Amino acid sequence: MKRETDYGHPIKALYTPEDIGNLDYKRDLGDPGSYPYTRGYYPDGYRSRIWTQRMTAGLGSSRQTNEVLKRYREMGQRGGMLVICDRTNAMPIDPDHPIGRKEAGVLGWPGASLLEFEELMDGIPLTGQSITLLGSCAMSSIRLAYIVALAEKRGVNLKEVHGSVTEYPFCTTFGQTDAQPLDLDLKLWLDSSEYIVRNNIHMRSGILSQHFQESGGNNAQALAVEMAMLKELCTLLVNERGLDFDDVALLPYELVSVGSRFFEEVAKIRALRRMWAKMAKETFKAKKEKSCQLLISVHTSGRTMTYQQPLNNIARCAIQTLAGAIAGCTAIDNACLDNAQAEPSALAARMSLNTQHIVADETGITDVADPLAGSYFVEYLTNKVEEEAYKIWNKLEEQGGMIAAVKKGYVQEMMKKSAQEKHREVERGDRLIVGVNELVIPLEEDYPIPIQELKSGDSEDIARRMEEWKKTRDKSLLKEKMGELYSDAKKEDRYNLMPSIIEAVKAYGTAGEIMGVIRKARGLSYDSLGVIDCPFEFN
Amino acid sequence: MDKRERIKVLVSVIGLDGHSIGAEVVCRILMDAGMEVVYLGIYQTPEMIVRAAVQEDVDVIGISSHASNYGQIIELLELLKKNNLRDVCVICGGTIPNHQMDELKKKGVAEIFPPQSTSESIVNFIVSNVKREDVS
Repeated sequence: MKRETDYGHPIKALYTPEDIGNLDYKRDLGDPGSYPYTRGYYPDGYRSRIWTQRMTAGLGSSRQTNEVLKRYREMGQRGGMLVICDRTNAMPIDPDHPIGRKEAGVLGWPGASLLEFEELMDGIPLTGQSITLLGSCAMSSIRLAYIVALAEKRGVNLKEVHGSVTEYPFCTTFGQTDAQPLDLDLKLWLDSSEYIVRNNIHMRSGILSQHFQESGGNNAQALAVEMAMLKELCTLLVNERGLDFDDVALLPYELVSVGSRFFEEVAKIRALRRMWAKMAKETFKAKKEKSCQLLISVHTSGRTMTYQQPLNNIARCAIQTLAGAIAGCTAIDNACLDNAQAEPSALAARMSLNTQHIVADETGITDVADPLAGSYFVEYLTNKVEEEAYKIWNKLEEQGGMIAAVKKGYVQEMMKKSAQEKHREVERGDRLIVGVNELVIPLEEDYPIPIQELKSGDSEDIARRMEEWKKTRDKSLLKEKMGELYSDAKKEDRYNLMPSIIEAVKAYGTAGEIMGVIRKARGLSYDSLGVIDCPFEFN
Repeated sequence: MDKRERIKVLVSVIGLDGHSIGAEVVCRILMDAGMEVVYLGIYQTPEMIVRAAVQEDVDVIGISSHASNYGQIIELLELLKKNNLRDVCVICGGTIPNHQMDELKKKGVAEIFPPQSTSESIVNFIVSNVKREDVS
């Protein structure tokens, strides 16, 4: 068995003060609540603010997902809701698209129009809890428009809504794909981000290392990629959109994938807080302390949840939840029991929310801030992962930054090699996974777990409903708003499309239509899959 | 058919599923085992996969699935039959629940490899199930 960190650094049997001889408490750690925030942002840890305990929802129709959200609220999920979009919406194409209708509602919520968002949120408050919608980058500006439009319809003050509905333009490189070119994703992300910052809306934008790491990247690479993305995207907002860094710094949030290598995961999150704080202060010359505090959420790692003997995943989820909680975070959502089989069943959802409540209420973890600080091993690991991450980050900078490194395929190759190496490690028995390469039993002897799936015909039902509903819209209003969007989308990249997207959403333009019109204005095919034609005529 | 020495495998992701890393890892495994691999990538329809299978004259089609898009795997099987490509062996890999595995096998998928399947099991299965006699 390998005794190395997940990024290949050898681990000794014992750590002593000598291993952290250069550690300067004030300079490198600081008390919780003070720079460089290695120990967290609150002087009294979770006593000030407990992490948001939440669980992913999204499968089938908007009405079905709404039911699930209501059930989660009964299970104690009150601080924030988290919905993942389906495969059609990630693209985005509409559920009634010839290819979309085969997969509407698969793996998520088909949020193709304001109508779907209204149904999703039926009986659920927009304020008083964080609203998080995950999906792909391409949909970011449209999802933000749903929030703006529904707040207006409900007479809710937009400034009281918080959460995150927008996502970084690199997710499409790391498995969370959409069908849009990088320059378009980047433009739309900058538009939505600028809109949020200029209007002082309390919505964050996910700039996440989770997708990269869940695709096979290691801990040091994940930190490097995260920092490279943060640096380049913040720089663009400051330089190209003319925003102040101290405003921009309130935009990003990071979702960290936390696996079972307990101490390394805690170290990774502590190192990330320090790396961001330093960049904010030294590179971006942050004037406010708040700008040095990167919002960090935790996702227990889906790729560690095994297909074999799924009940073992309950233990993995608990260990990872504890690691995330000890490291200090704003929110946790769990990949759990059935992650390698299907979307979370009601059983898995309850298990996983209760896991968080058990960790919060029964372990004493919320009593004290950053309890592992000062551990020779954890401080050594924190320094080491940071040091390795800086090396990789420097290489990304040598490529010309994150956008250039992605265009050259450099980051993709790094991720692929790491994924292959992880697979080989398991095959060679260098890393043991219970039920996979250790204590294996035949699949048919596994205890069965409930599987939540779509019924056949569900996707087609969603498609037909959309087809019928589209006919009932106010056609002249829709045409007018689409026409305005089309002419705005022909303007230079720095012209912000958010206002015209919001108008199109309010006129019940769909995601597929809005994206199609923007594509057409930019000289691309209306349909990213090249199957259907534009239903609108423009002069 | 041309004589050739190496087994040729087409690997693809089907439908709107964007999870490609599993397919890419399997491509490497098959190439390391000396097979010729044609990787189509993501957003492939059953029609596109069959067209490529004919053009490339492959022995095996491997579909990576992460997104309960089994209907499209079944469409692929039907299209292969319609095009008289009965000798092409179809295998799948990914997060496919147990009962769906049985369904897909009934419909003609030769084998399904769940997550963390060994390279050896995938390679051995392909080597012993390629139906063409001129390929060793």
